[in-house]
This record gives sequence, C-alpha cells and structure tokens, in this order.
Amino acid sequence: MRRRTRPGRGTAALAALALTAPLVACSGGDDGPPVLTWYTNPDAGGQAAIAARCTEAADGSYRIVTSGLPSEASAQREQLARRLAANDSSIDLMSLDPPFIPELAEPGFLAPVPEDVAAEVSTDVVEGALAGATWKDELVTAPFWANTQLLWYRKSVAEAAGLDMSGPVTWDQIMEATASQDKLLGVQGAKAESLTVWVNALVASAGGSVVENPEAPRDEIAMGLESDAGREAARILETIGAEGLGGPGLPTRDENASLSLFQGDDGGFMVNWPFVWAATQSAVEEGTLDQELLDDIGWAMYPQVVEGQEAAPPYGGINIGVGAFSEHTDLAYDAVRCIVSPENQAEYFVTDGNPPASVVAFDDPAVQEAFPMADVIRDSLQLAVPRPQTPYYNEVSAGLQETWHPVGSVDPDTTPAAATELIVAVLRGEKLL
Amino acid sequence: MSTTTIPAASTDPVDPDAEKRHRAARSDRARAESRLGWYLAGPAFVIMLAVTAYPILQAVYESLFAFRLTAPGDREFVGLGNYAVVLSDQVFWRDLLVTTLIMLVTVAVELVLGFALALVMHRAVRQLRGLLRTAILVPYGIITVVSAFAWFYAFDINSGFINQWFGWVPGIDPSLNWFAGTSTSLFVIIASEIWKTTPFISLLLLAGLAQVPGDLEEAAKVDGATGWQVLKRVIIPNMKAAIMVAVLFRALDAFRIFDNVFIMTNGAYNTEVLSLLAYKTSITRLEIGLGSAISVLLFLCVMIICFVAIKLFKVDLAGARGES
Amino acid sequence: MGSLTARQKVGWAVITGAVLVYALFPVASVIATSFKLPSQLDTGTFLPQDWTVENYEAILSPDGAAQDLFLSALRNSIGISLIATAVAVVLATLAAYAIARLDFPGKRVILTTALGVSIFPVISIVTPLFNIWRTIGLYDTWLGLIIPYLSLTLPISIWTLAAFFRQIPWELEQAAQVDGATSWQAFRKAIVPLAAPGVFTTALIAFFIAWNDFVYGISLTSTSAARPVPAALAFFTGASQFEEPTGAISAAAVVVTVPVVVLVLLFQRQIVAGLTQGAVKG
Repeated sequence: MRRRTRPGRGTAALAALALTAPLVACSGGDDGPPVLTWYTNPDAGGQAAIAARCTEAADGSYRIVTSGLPSEASAQREQLARRLAANDSSIDLMSLDPPFIPELAEPGFLAPVPEDVAAEVSTDVVEGALAGATWKDELVTAPFWANTQLLWYRKSVAEAAGLDMSGPVTWDQIMEATASQDKLLGVQGAKAESLTVWVNALVASAGGSVVENPEAPRDEIAMGLESDAGREAARILETIGAEGLGGPGLPTRDENASLSLFQGDDGGFMVNWPFVWAATQSAVEEGTLDQELLDDIGWAMYPQVVEGQEAAPPYGGINIGVGAFSEHTDLAYDAVRCIVSPENQAEYFVTDGNPPASVVAFDDPAVQEAFPMADVIRDSLQLAVPRPQTPYYNEVSAGLQETWHPVGSVDPDTTPAAATELIVAVLRGEKLL
Repeated sequence: MSTTTIPAASTDPVDPDAEKRHRAARSDRARAESRLGWYLAGPAFVIMLAVTAYPILQAVYESLFAFRLTAPGDREFVGLGNYAVVLSDQVFWRDLLVTTLIMLVTVAVELVLGFALALVMHRAVRQLRGLLRTAILVPYGIITVVSAFAWFYAFDINSGFINQWFGWVPGIDPSLNWFAGTSTSLFVIIASEIWKTTPFISLLLLAGLAQVPGDLEEAAKVDGATGWQVLKRVIIPNMKAAIMVAVLFRALDAFRIFDNVFIMTNGAYNTEVLSLLAYKTSITRLEIGLGSAISVLLFLCVMIICFVAIKLFKVDLAGARGES
Repeated sequence: MGSLTARQKVGWAVITGAVLVYALFPVASVIATSFKLPSQLDTGTFLPQDWTVENYEAILSPDGAAQDLFLSALRNSIGISLIATAVAVVLATLAAYAIARLDFPGKRVILTTALGVSIFPVISIVTPLFNIWRTIGLYDTWLGLIIPYLSLTLPISIWTLAAFFRQIPWELEQAAQVDGATSWQAFRKAIVPLAAPGVFTTALIAFFIAWNDFVYGISLTSTSAARPVPAALAFFTGASQFEEPTGAISAAAVVVTVPVVVLVLLFQRQIVAGLTQGAVKG
C-alpha cells in the first residue's frame, strides 16, 4: 500500500522538471542572434528548409525558427488573430492565407511594409497574388506562393464523351460529359472554406462579385449575389446537386476527397489545386496506384461559366506578413526578402508542389520538368480572382456556407437572396451565424 | 445519512463528551475547529470560485458590450442588446433544441445500457469481474476526441467500413453518406457520446446496486417472484436515489456536449449545439460581446435544469452523494 | 457462486463477449485505421490491405510531418495534466480531511460549491478566460491551462476523497497516540497507509479528466507552447495542406490511448472503488 504513494512523489518531481524545461530552453536562445519565429501553414517541410537557408544567408544577423499552424485556413486565422489581438510580440513572421489579410491589416496587426521591400517583392508577381497582398491600395504582405485551381480530367473519359479539351470548356459541357459517361464530378461540396472558393470562382467567372464593396465598414457592405452572375452560379450548383453529378459524398467532400474520387473508377473531371499532381505521383511511386492512371490525367484552364467569357479561377496561396508587435520588424522584413526570393519560390514549387507567385520563378527549368502543367498554372494565376478582400471575410464565407450548403438544396431564385439577407444581418450584428 | 445536518448543532463524532462541557468552552473549541476547517478547505474553495464565479461575472459584464476583438476601436455599450439578438434568432432556439434532443436521447439510452452493464459487473463471477471492469473502463478513460475520430472514421463515406458491413440493413448501402443528413449525423454523434460516457453512469448505478439489501432480494425470490419482478419491485425502488443522481449528472454533462460535434460535423446539417454556437461566436468570430451573452444563457440553462431536477424530481445531490 | 451450470457458463461467455465487443470495438477500429496506407484509406475494409507503420513514423520519427506537433502536444498534455492533478489532489486532500473530520460551518457550502463547479458548463467561462488571459499574458501558457483545469479536477477530487476519508477509522490515530506515538507518528503510521489508496485513486480519476479536456485546450492555446493532445489531434495535417491526416490522427490516437488502457488494466479495482465510493450512498 505504502508503495503507491511513490508515483505521487515521482509525479511532482516530473512536473517540476517539465515546468523548468521550457525556461531552460528559452534562456539558451538569448546567447545567439535574435530569433525570428515564423508561423507556417502545414506543408511538406519546404518552409522549414527555406527558414534554414535564410538563416544561413543572414550570416548571424538573425535566426528563423518555424512554428506550425493548423491545416484549415480558417483555423490558422483563428490562432493568429487571437494572438495578435493579445499584442503577442512572439509573432515575427506569418504565412497568411490572403482572404484573411484585411482582417489583420485593418486594426494594424501587420507591421507596415517598408517601401524598398514593397517595391522588391511586388515586381514580376502574378496579378492575383498582388491583389491578394494589398489592402486599401497598400501592399501589406509579401506574396510568397500563389495557388490556383485547374480543371483536371481523365483523358479517356473526355475522349469518350467527345469533348475537345484543347480549347476552353464550360461547366455545362463538363457536367454533360460527366453525365453521359456515367462518372462523377470532383467538386468540393463540404461545408467548409472550399465551398466558398468554388462559389466565388463561379460568381466571378460569370462576371459578378460576391461582395460589391469589400472595403466598406461592416454595416455598409453590399452583396453582389442577387445578380445574373449569382443566379448563374447557383444554377450550376443546383444542377450538380439535383442530377447527382457529385455522387453521395458531395455534401462532405473536400479537396482530398475529390482527389480520391477522381483517382477511382468514377473519376472523370475535377476542379482542384495542383497538389493533386504531386499526391498522385507519390501514390504511383508507393505502388498503390497504377502508372496508367497518371498517364490518363490531363489538365486545362478552370471551366468557363459563360461560353466565350474567360473564367476567373480560384486564387489561393500564402503571403508572408510581419507581426506589428514583433521586436524585430526590420530584421523580419530582411527575412521576408530572402524567403520570397524567386529562387526560393521555384525551389518550394519543386519540393512542395506549391506554385510560385513570381512569374520569373516559372521559367526555372526544374519547375518545368517537375510540373508539366506549370504554364497553365501561370496563365490561370494571371486570371485568378481572390475571394472578397474584407475584414469581415470570415462572416461572409461562413454566411455563404450556411446558405449554399448542401449543394443539392441550392435554388437560383432563393439562395442568393437568402445568403445576402443572412450575411448583411450578421454584419449588422442582428443575427447569429 | 442525514442530509439536513447543521454542523453547529450536530454531535461531535471525535469527542462525545463535548455536549457536557461548559457552553463557553464549547464555543471556543468550535471556533478553533471552524478556523482550522477553513484553513484546510479554504484554498480549494477559493480556487473553485475563482475559476468559475469570477469568469462568469466577467462574462455577464462583457455581454453588455458590442465588441469584436479585431476591431478594438468599435467597442460600445449596448445594454441587453446582445441578448435580444441571441434570443430573437432562431439559430439559438434550433441549437437549444438539438442540444436538448441529444441530452434526452443519450441519457435515456445510457440509463438502460448503463444499468445492464452495472448488473453484469454486479453479478459477474469473481474470475470475470476484473476482465469486465477493465473492458468497461476503457471507454471511460479514452479521450472524447479520440472516440469522436474513431466513430467518424468508421462511418465516413470515404474511410469507413460500416456501409460495407451493414449493407444488409435496409437503408444502409455503400452510397449512404452519414454526415450528409441531420438524423444520420446525430445518430453517429449520439452513438459516440453514449459509448464514451455509459461506463460512468454504469459505475454510479453499480454503487447504487451495492446498496440494495441482498436479503430483500432473497426474500422476494423465495416468495416466487421472477427476475423481472425482483428488478421492478425490489432493486429499482431501492436505488431510486442513485438513478436520479446518475441521470442528473449525465444530463448536465450531455448538455455541454461539444467535442463529438466539433470533430464530426462542426455543426453542418443542423447539428450545431449550444456549446459550439458559443465557441464559434466568441472564439472563431471573435465577437466577445455576443459570445459572452450566449455563454451566460448557456449557464442559465444549466441552472434551470438543475433547479427543475432538484425541486420537481427532488433529487438530493448532497445527500445521495454521501454527505453525512 | 462457486459452481455454475453449463448454461450459466455459456450465458456468461456470451455476455462477456458482448461487453468486450462493445468496449473495445471502436478502439480496434482506430488501431486498424492507423496501419492503413494513405492511398488505401477508402477501400471500405476494416483491416488494412497492406500494413504500414508510415503513420507512426509521421508522428514519432524525427522527420515525420506531424512529429513536432504531436510530441510537443504530448509533452504539454502530460505536464499540464500531471500538475493540474497534483495541485487538485493536494488541495482536495486538505479540504476533504477538514470535511471528514472537522465540524465547521460552511462545510455544506464547500460541498455544494464543488458540486456546482463540477456541473458548470465549461464553454461559458472560455470567453471570459480567453479575454482575461489575453490581458494578463497567460494565454497559450501552461499555467493558463492548469488554472482552468482545476475547475475540472478539484470538485471530483474533493468529493471522492471526502467519501474515502469518512471511512477511515480515525480512532486508530488516537489508539496509536495512547500507545505512546507522537501525533505525527500516529498520523503517519496509522492514517497515511489507510488514506494513501484513496488519494492515489483520486489522482487517477482527476488525471483522466484533465487528460480528456478539449474545450479549454483549443480555446486557450494557439501554438505548440501549450496545446494539449486532444486539441492537436483536431489540427493535424496530411502530407500537404489539402490532404487528410486520417492515418496520422489514428496513430496519434492509438499512442495516447495506450497509457489509458495500461492504467485501467493496472488499477481497475481502485478506479471502480473511487468512482463508486464518492458516488451514491442511499
């Protein structure tokens, strides 16, 4: 019996040890150069490698350590916004998803970009990335990598459907081809950020915009969904839902599930980010997928909503921001210049499959070799339209998801109006989300 | 086991002679004892209040302001405005309904299942007792989030195997997407909740079972009562208090449900519960004022449930939990 | 209950089997998932087609994708839960001793408070705590979780220990003193051995509760500085931003479940005693 008290004592000792351990670790850092903490979104390790390279290049003037953020963009925003609101000085560098940048820029949570840095990091940058890095006509972050969705297709399916993939195709065409070949369409219908990405791209491709005046104060924001563009977007979702083109998994399908679907027997067409190429390749190397499948995969520009009118593909990616409460904002901006250099962007594309924001980086031979679709990605990025750049993006996106999910219940006559009503009321503080 | 003991008037168990002593001496002793009592129990008492009462008062205060964390300049006093917004929004009432539904179903199922498990543990032969207890304790010790993932992955249309295994059940086929419908989502959420928390309720009931006088049972059996009759006439009436306490504790616990919903649906398909609404409003949207108002309302709901249980059903928590 | 008839034996075998399936099946399901290859997750089978330890490498090996996230979370969870348990048990031991042995006004107030705190809706105080912690710098620190964890561990510790202590024959202490022991010796020799099992059991139960917390964990932390395991599980990531971390989550779930199963195996008798003692006394 008495022996049982011993774990208790051991526990206290362990606890004391564990408590002091972090302190020891901290004091160890004081001797060297200033440490810059870079909060990175998850990747295959490329950002950590860049941090190491830039630390080396800094030659002792600073040291970059990375700290991981959650996988969901909205969760990343949640973590960072909460810390910045707490005036956290430990945030030096941040990998930011563009739609959430205005919310951090508006209350001054981001350190202003010095002019020389701004000039340097905005030369030769694709259009979409520049728009995503700007708030109220001022560059507030540095574009690092830029993402866009392509239309991925199985060559065999497109051929069987008689669809000519050499030129632009429309949503109606791929929906028809999917139906005629008895396949399923890889679109993201889960109640998540990916649904907003889709709806925004459809509305923008039809020539509209989800939010008319994204820079307006919260009670003056006007939605652009009750328009022909909004109704057209709703019609596409409605058709896919009503005809079962997305299959039973649609209401919970995210990017990854779309890829699994596309790789399977039901795969035909899919809109998705370029990570699908790297993922499929590694599955083939692992031996769980056949080389034939890889050979059967084709890619094209994002489908058009209105025939003959250029599509507005989704824009994503990551910008680097500097925390306003950092003790080393000058060093941090030095680090930013290093991180977003075209060489690092090209390297990052090759290692992690995330496309560069710099046009120059696309010309890198290593990029061309690893990503045969690099040119399509670059062209797509030039046309890509960011999601609404408003400090209330979280509410806009959540409001869209609330009303446009599930895809099967979308109705062009009522859904855009319902979304507008909900989002406006939420922004005015009259409704809950 | 009196429940109405007033400490000052009770006889001192340590020193039975106390009654006979002089009144003044007695009150001196009593004072010293009460001082010692508070010295020992005070820190725990103060901490318990500090980590709950103080924050909830802070929440009441915060709930009177419109305040968004990322717009610190716009903070303004709105009185009861936040409450008006919350109470006039059908989202709140829908979430309250969903929460209550989950609470009622889980408690009802757990009571039956937990009673069965308690009976199994109570009646099991010695050689099996350890094995059974260990097995039943496993869900109790497992992290709720782990349980949520386990159930989620098993039912998920992509990674799950349930559709394949139970394809013979009408209504289940490989294309059934459990998380694309309110009732099917709630089914899995409730199943995970029940799996994880039934051991707790069954242990409370086991304690109650141990209190049932064995001779009464024997007597009933001698009189020719069937097993069912013994259960109904002897066992259940004798553990009414235990059942009531178990139900109230689990009900209040189920009312706070958060982890399972957060992991499995994050509120999609009308499965949002009150805790998730509070979380989304204050932590995700950073609307501290509105979020605080929801927090306060949630707290009031728990108070009401508790009050109703104690007044209407006469659940004597303190007494039943062994206060003497 | 010495000898069972053949029918009873079969009956008990069936019942035991059913209970085992009930209790262990979801665990087995996570274990099976944790050994699946990422590209074979959607085969619809219970068991993996090709067994792999890839997922365990992801969370445990030095170059695993989720290793950083997982190991720091594990360290946080163990540290924070142990400290919260230790503090709660020490404070609760003092309080429970006073409740069991002394007669003082306010005893019922303390017990009622403990009861009230144990049914408190945790989410209600998350917003204010987040706001207070943000202001005073406790946000995303160990202490910032240990303090609210006390609201979970203290009440149950007080109740369980008070119930245990009531059953201790305190006369033994006096008897020992009569036999010539000093009061400290009497306490140590006569009371400590009787009280220790109760304290240990209480610590186990409190630890389970702290270990299980999710709401505080996701709301009051934002980095690996303090994020505990349940919160980290919800933030796991796959090989790239858009790939599902199903395998890694399952592997991590298995790793954090092992200690629970071991503790339950070793101490099932004590845990059952602890949970039922503090509970219902008709």
